[in-house]
Amino acid sequence: MSTPVLEIRDLKKTYKRGWNAKPVHALKGVSFQIEPGTITGFLGANGAGKTTTIKCLFGLSLPDSGTIKYFGQEGLTNEAKAKIGFLPERPYFYEYLTGREFLRFYGKLSWKDTTSELEKRISQLLDRVGLAHAGDRPLRSYSKGMLQRIGIAQALIHKPEFIILDEPQTGLDPDGRHEVREIIKETAQQGTAVFFSSHLLPDAEQLCKNLVILKQGTLVYSGSTQNLLGQVEKGFRLVSAKSDVLTTQDYASPAELQIAIDQIRKVGGEIREVRALRLTLEEAFAQIGFDKKEARP
Amino acid sequence: MKSVSIIAVNTFREVIRDRILYGIIVFALLLISLSVVLGGLSFTEQAKISADFGFAGIQIGASILSIFVGSTLVAKEIEKQTILTLLARPISRTQFLMGKFFGLFLVIITVMAGLAAVLALLLIYLRLKVDGLFFIALYGVVLESLILVSITLMFGVISRPVMTVIFASSLFLIGHWVSSFEGLMKIKAMATEPIAIYGSKIAKFVPNLERFNWRSAPVYSTPVPAEDLLYATLYAAGWVLVFLALTSFAFRRRDFV
Repeated sequence: MSTPVLEIRDLKKTYKRGWNAKPVHALKGVSFQIEPGTITGFLGANGAGKTTTIKCLFGLSLPDSGTIKYFGQEGLTNEAKAKIGFLPERPYFYEYLTGREFLRFYGKLSWKDTTSELEKRISQLLDRVGLAHAGDRPLRSYSKGMLQRIGIAQALIHKPEFIILDEPQTGLDPDGRHEVREIIKETAQQGTAVFFSSHLLPDAEQLCKNLVILKQGTLVYSGSTQNLLGQVEKGFRLVSAKSDVLTTQDYASPAELQIAIDQIRKVGGEIREVRALRLTLEEAFAQIGFDKKEARP
Repeated sequence: MKSVSIIAVNTFREVIRDRILYGIIVFALLLISLSVVLGGLSFTEQAKISADFGFAGIQIGASILSIFVGSTLVAKEIEKQTILTLLARPISRTQFLMGKFFGLFLVIITVMAGLAAVLALLLIYLRLKVDGLFFIALYGVVLESLILVSITLMFGVISRPVMTVIFASSLFLIGHWVSSFEGLMKIKAMATEPIAIYGSKIAKFVPNLERFNWRSAPVYSTPVPAEDLLYATLYAAGWVLVFLALTSFAFRRRDFV
């Protein structure tokens, strides 16, 4: 079995704002791991602890206890950082830099190849995120969607083995969201593990092989998306026809379905389609104990 | 070291592209120009008064730059959250701070070089010599700015920009009064006064910025002994290291919530 790109064990973090403030237990012993080359969605309501977890991963917020291993090694070393890309939530970048200067600045901080290779990579990424035309414009003239896209390019500039994106689709229009989804897919196809937090459940369902779900600082699910959606049976849909009149009916159990099929055949009806009804991620959230309202953006 | 220089160059670029810098430069140029007007008020000492005010203009410009621009250097990165992506790169928090420190210092040196060129032309016009002493006076301002940047950076990581400006300006003023407290202790009648006693105690914890004041040397052609220069350099380096170490210590445990 390959070494996980990230392994978290029993991560705890408590905040206390002000001397008399009550402590807030942001993370109450979170454990999970990310496998190489996979796309993992990080879900949970606002305040569930997603951003705190991500900040702990980069040492931006110091955990009270727990262990974090990157590529099998404990601690966030510079060697590990060089293999990881990161896009924070609501990114603000140096607005006085042009898109190209911005990528060059971040590239130089982790780049090992030659300068000309870096320049090639910058052009390639600008093209990939659809900003080739705006590469020489200062970031202050970029729209929100453009900033998000240049932010993703920044996270990918050094060809990382693992990228962490904190709500990369927030504030984007449908086209922008689609574009980000495609970039995530392509990145994973090239062998990079992607871990991204999101409130957009349909996107997460479509993209993610695995899911990590937090609720109020506690891990409530970590595993494959397929397993989560298979945990609760929704039933079956039967489409039948008699005298060219189509009838669609849902059945809760295989037994009920079997009885219905027998009856249709008895009266000379025709079975056109039998399909297991899969849960959507939103429905799974509601059925396995999540508060649906919380799970929505 | 590579990371420090990359951050320093970016900081240099950030400050150079900021309008506030040009406001400070214009202000310093006005002070230098004012020196000609003020010098004109004296019949006999015009050149010397002008030179004195000219150096003061450079010193004030460099100090304002150190304190006002320095106060927002780290705060802006935290407020705009650019620090998150930066610290996720293979650099340590101390390297980040060093980059900020050297970046601003590079700006101060660049601006000072420009202002010094203007002052040199002015002094040549007023038939004063621009010799080694001229550069020694500037060197004093450079050493003082190094300390000021490190002080501002230290306050910048633990407080808001407004408070940083207040704290750093206070240390700047106290730093220039330190020798007065030491002087008071030497006067018998004042030695038992609380202001002299407490003042001299505080003075031990504050850098004496008057040690770098060689601005009258080129005006009155007073030589500055080499050991004074060496001692002042070591003194400045010591304080800068102390402030940077404290800054790094405070910054290392900081949570970016």
